[in-house]
Amino acid sequence: MFIDRRTFMKGSAVAGAAAVAPQVLVGTARGQQRNKVVFVSEESNPKAIAVYDKINADFKKETGIEVVMEYPGFANIAKRVATLIAAGTPPEIVWYGAGQAMNLALENQLADVGDVIRATGGTAENLRLVYKGADRSIPTSQQFTYGWYRKDLFQAKNLDAPKSWDEYLSAAKTLSNPPSMYGCIVPSAETGASTLLLETMFMKNNVHWFGWDAGKKDYEVVLDKGDQKKRAVETLDYLNELHKYSPEASTYNWGELMSTYFSEKAASSYYVGSRLLDQTIANNPKIADATVPFELPRKLTDSYYLSIQGFHILEKSNVDGAKKYVTFFLQHPDLIAWYHAVPLHIIPASRQMLNSAKYQDNPVIQKRMDVLKFLDSIWTKGVPLYYWDGRELNPYIGLFHNENLAGWMLAARNIKGMKSDQVVDEAAAQVRKKMKRVG
Amino acid sequence: MSAHTERRAWIFGTTAPALVFLLVIAYLPIAYAVTLSFFKKTAFNPAMKWVGLDNYRFILEEPELWSAFWRSVVFTLGAVALQLVWGLVSALLLNRTFKGLNLVRSLFVLPYLLPSIVVALVFQWLLSQEYGVVNQVLMQTGVVARPINFFGGLATAMWAVIGMAGWQYGSFATLLILARLQAINPKLYEAAAVSGAGTLRAFRDVTLPNLRTTLIVIALLRGIWMFNKFDSIWLVTHGGPLKATETLPLYAYRLAFEEFDFGLAAAACTVMFVVLLVGAVVYFKLFDPTKEIEVGR
Repeated sequence: MFIDRRTFMKGSAVAGAAAVAPQVLVGTARGQQRNKVVFVSEESNPKAIAVYDKINADFKKETGIEVVMEYPGFANIAKRVATLIAAGTPPEIVWYGAGQAMNLALENQLADVGDVIRATGGTAENLRLVYKGADRSIPTSQQFTYGWYRKDLFQAKNLDAPKSWDEYLSAAKTLSNPPSMYGCIVPSAETGASTLLLETMFMKNNVHWFGWDAGKKDYEVVLDKGDQKKRAVETLDYLNELHKYSPEASTYNWGELMSTYFSEKAASSYYVGSRLLDQTIANNPKIADATVPFELPRKLTDSYYLSIQGFHILEKSNVDGAKKYVTFFLQHPDLIAWYHAVPLHIIPASRQMLNSAKYQDNPVIQKRMDVLKFLDSIWTKGVPLYYWDGRELNPYIGLFHNENLAGWMLAARNIKGMKSDQVVDEAAAQVRKKMKRVG
Repeated sequence: MSAHTERRAWIFGTTAPALVFLLVIAYLPIAYAVTLSFFKKTAFNPAMKWVGLDNYRFILEEPELWSAFWRSVVFTLGAVALQLVWGLVSALLLNRTFKGLNLVRSLFVLPYLLPSIVVALVFQWLLSQEYGVVNQVLMQTGVVARPINFFGGLATAMWAVIGMAGWQYGSFATLLILARLQAINPKLYEAAAVSGAGTLRAFRDVTLPNLRTTLIVIALLRGIWMFNKFDSIWLVTHGGPLKATETLPLYAYRLAFEEFDFGLAAAACTVMFVVLLVGAVVYFKLFDPTKEIEVGR
């Protein structure tokens, strides 16, 4: 085939324009569509997706607004949302942890959603995320950080669920027979799993990263000061002792916490929620019935890291459409099926719903009412990290939490062998340095 | 239209698609990243604030940047050296005639065709501290008393990722070296044999000089690719333990997507770009590969 020069030049120009055009058009196209809502959801379980599909179809039928879903997954959702915002095409709705959403609130990216909360029956005080006097999160569910243990193995050694730090250490030591079996798992890596373990154990020992300075009306780092440092060092040393009965776990994140447990390599583990039980049922059902929850043991407090999930509506988007959708979603009869997508893992924000016959009408929940009763027993003890250090929203938690500084502390102590006081000093110095940079 | 103008139009017309493609795919993102490095820009806000050289000042004073840089150098040198050795040895073995040669050659090329995620999973299983075949063999033969935490040990993680990269990308070197080996004139070996040269001497005096050009090109290409390598390391260690395998690309990624500071991340990427640019210029000045290729012909 012969192509003359003119045709060739035209073709080149068209190809060039076609390559550049999407970059130019994408920025303006999204904001103009009032009959469309982009919804990015952390929950990507197939059962949850089926519920979304059903509710979205009903919503379109009633309002004419189309809901476009994105499921980037737990590990990637913050990156995906950040990328969309940076590209100037923010999604309307994001369903994920309020702790992550706080980063958006601090940048004035989240709309006031107080009206939606009121229209859908209100929420518990400890689940609210308030910034500049307005609610920025519509809580739907929560996850508690707690332990799971093999009741059969514990009973064989005449052990009960550990209630104190000493009991937990002693049980881990008794049950440990490496490399075939470890008494516990203390992941020591710069991962979310390590971070949440140390942050929860800090809470159990009443350790605070920050203290409220009433004079300056701001938070300041106190981790390396006085009693805080003493207790932080004590916590790290305790987890270092516990680590002797754990796999080295220097690369562990959530997946390994579950797989090591359900492959019968550990007598106890922990998780944020019940997904560990869900995975044990799926992968090794013969130990599922013996898999029982327990509260990570207390030292000075019963508090634990509370993760709250909810809907967050982006300020510079189709806010009206998004609010209509969230209200519709929370009042839809199939909402209960969404909570049942991962039974006992997606825990309703409302205690009333937890104890309702409708919620409990599920074969997994019916079979494991002990888990539900356990969750009910620790209901009020959870604290979101951003309210752990004081009544005011702490805007600085991202400086240590986002990059898993607590995980680094565990790794520095347990893998590198640094002394605990040195680890605490270095962590505090890092946070101060970052505070200085962000101004 | 004069012949000269027509010729220029023709040259422009034929190169325009490639230029437009390069502009959109390569130069615009580079320009955007460099521009971004002069702004304060968090990932949660589209607004950008001009900060001049602040990001560079901050990042160049960061010990983490320099640690990541040295880890990149170690990873690059280690992985490229391994690939060259692996490529050379395997190419010499494959440059023979035996039954099933084609099948064996295909098997040697296979690692290069595998997606990084597959290679990462295979190596995670092979080297796992809890379930790994390698540890099982080492334990059962009494070589070690306790399983080795290859990817999770401070002293072993870097060597483990170097080993993985060497295995996966060594096939590239095998292919190129084998092609060059087959182009060496057999008469050169005959002449060497007549002069009394044994196998080793023939290798030193005939094979190596003929492979010089190819080895230099492989070292350059693989060096650049390894210095920029992200996926292989990220998939097996995420830069850990305790940043023992955090090279420059992983450091930049952490700044962007864990600390959510796009401005700083862009500055880190620009530093990386400049390092590669300087490395490439020095390389071209020292070795002049174009001349080498001409000689190689």
